[in-house]
Amino acid sequence: MSAVIEIEGLRKTFHSLRHGRRVAVDGFDLLVEPGQIHGFLGPNGSGKTTTLRALLGLVRADAGRMTVLGARSPEQLPRVSGRVGAIVESPQFFGNFTAHRTLRLLARAGGVPVSRVDEVLTQVGLYDRGHERVKGYSLGMKQRLAVASALLKDPELLILDEPANGLDPAGIREMRDLMRSLAAAGVTVLVSSHILAEIQLICDHVTIISRGRRVAAGRVDEVLAGFDRHEFLVRVAEPARAVELLGAAGLTATAHDDHLTVADVTDPTLVSRTLGEQGLWVGELTPLRPDLESVFLELTGTAGHPGVPRQVDDSVLPDRPTRDGTIDLDAGVGETRGVDA
Amino acid sequence: MNLVRAELERLSARRFVQLMVVLLVLAFGITAATTLAGSHRPTATELAEAQRQAAEERRNLEVIHEQCLARERGVLPPEQADQYYPPNCSEVDPALRERLPVAADYLVGVFTFATEARPLLYFLIAFLVLFGFLVGASYIGADLNSGGVVNLLLWRPRRMTVLGAKLGTLLGGVLALSLVASVVYLGSFWFIGQAAGQPGHLDDQFWRSLGTLWGRGLVLVVLATALGFAIATLGRHTSAALGAVAAYLVVWELGARLVFEILEVARPDQLMLSSHLAAWLTGRAEFWDNQACAGVFDGSCDGFYALTWAPALVVLVTLTAALTAAAFALFRRRDLI
Repeated sequence: MSAVIEIEGLRKTFHSLRHGRRVAVDGFDLLVEPGQIHGFLGPNGSGKTTTLRALLGLVRADAGRMTVLGARSPEQLPRVSGRVGAIVESPQFFGNFTAHRTLRLLARAGGVPVSRVDEVLTQVGLYDRGHERVKGYSLGMKQRLAVASALLKDPELLILDEPANGLDPAGIREMRDLMRSLAAAGVTVLVSSHILAEIQLICDHVTIISRGRRVAAGRVDEVLAGFDRHEFLVRVAEPARAVELLGAAGLTATAHDDHLTVADVTDPTLVSRTLGEQGLWVGELTPLRPDLESVFLELTGTAGHPGVPRQVDDSVLPDRPTRDGTIDLDAGVGETRGVDA
Repeated sequence: MNLVRAELERLSARRFVQLMVVLLVLAFGITAATTLAGSHRPTATELAEAQRQAAEERRNLEVIHEQCLARERGVLPPEQADQYYPPNCSEVDPALRERLPVAADYLVGVFTFATEARPLLYFLIAFLVLFGFLVGASYIGADLNSGGVVNLLLWRPRRMTVLGAKLGTLLGGVLALSLVASVVYLGSFWFIGQAAGQPGHLDDQFWRSLGTLWGRGLVLVVLATALGFAIATLGRHTSAALGAVAAYLVVWELGARLVFEILEVARPDQLMLSSHLAAWLTGRAEFWDNQACAGVFDGSCDGFYALTWAPALVVLVTLTAALTAAAFALFRRRDLI
């Protein structure tokens, strides 16, 4: 089955008289297969939105090949635009228009039946407020309207840039449910977000970008597995003695205030047996699985240090992405650079 | 077609457009109401008196002309020798005057359509030119600035089609409004002239002249609209168009005119858009060239020169077309961020 979105070697450099030359996207690759809910992650200024804008024909790429639903972008985009719903960075709407009118105008321009307007307003929870002017909407309501505009076409592919911006917790949950139900109905979803816990909950695949280059891509569980240090949290009465005993048994243990962590544990019973044989009874033995947030921070080098403000460009500049595999976890982690100028 | 319908709805729903239409209606309403309140149908006596005064004035003009010719022939009676007569008697020839005194000139408090139609139409054209320019600039400027164009391009990723539909809809909308407004406007004043004043002398020549001015005015409205649209597209903002016009007026029409005067450049007026604007609207505009008669003191030099409507139209259309083409070319390649 052919990919829904395919980006190869995308490059985009912005030029400005004041700020000179800035590389926004530098040889970036992205592959989204049909039916995926694909998370697209990256720190601020890493090139996510530029990538989406280039894909949708809003900015001109300097190099690279992009296809959407089999059509080359941007040349053949008009052929498939009726099947693609998208929001790119909090879209703005005319404040004096109602949500209903805003969507009706888009529906007319796109040749979509106006009856869809009420359907999508209901879908995003704005039906009762649909005849109010947009300028009275909260950020979350505007975001819902943006999602409604993307859904209006009943798309096969939905591209959502930060759809949870400004949403309240209930709104975030509703958005999650909406994406799941759309995916269940066969819609492919590409979603970029900073709410990594959400991405981990919703997405089955993920691509991480840093400084315009891909640092990781693949199934979420596979990406996480690549960072699994087989670490366990252990609670015992005497942590310091436990570290010694586990060290003597060939395990790497580190003492903390009220617990210790043991790394590279392939057989957890070895920990309890080693300590139990010496009269130290294990109160808790919990596997520490990496989550998307820790992986993201490590991959992009954006974890920061207490008391040191991090600048937006202080992130990892990976090596150029490989083309053969879907995961390139060793891509230049730890290397950082300043501003591309 | 769907796109044009959507754009038409978007255009008509814009607050600024609605506000400008309200202002137009208000200006029209106030002008019509005050005219109506200040005018009355002249009585037979008033009319007869005005006709007598006009006839007398026409006679006076003829007498002065005859006296001037008599002075040229050297047969002027000595008692009239103190009066001033121009060196060239054609200057006081009634037959060469743009218009001769008519009864309407001597009717006080009577609105005469034939006399007032042209100034009224000039006012309407000025308003519609301002309307077209501001609406043209704000229509695309606000759309570019607010992300409305981006939203639309996500739906119709054909930049030239989208921008073309916007410009076409805008020009069509403004032209339609101008047509309706001018017909209603002139029609109302014609009616006031019939009901509470005087229609005046409405012959073929009057209607032809008024029709020409009306047509020229509408062309100017369309050009101003396209110009506002083009500059705002180039500058990505409504204020770019306003700024460009303000800068042009200050830097070129005022500043450069001063510099040209200091440098004694010949015929500086022909380098000003305002001159071409006047020439297009009136058909012919005359200007005085300070340099033409420098050093000539015998009165034989004629420093006047004229700009006519045809080259003026070429200048105005070329400028608008060039800026519009530039706007489309830039929009086609521009990064929309």
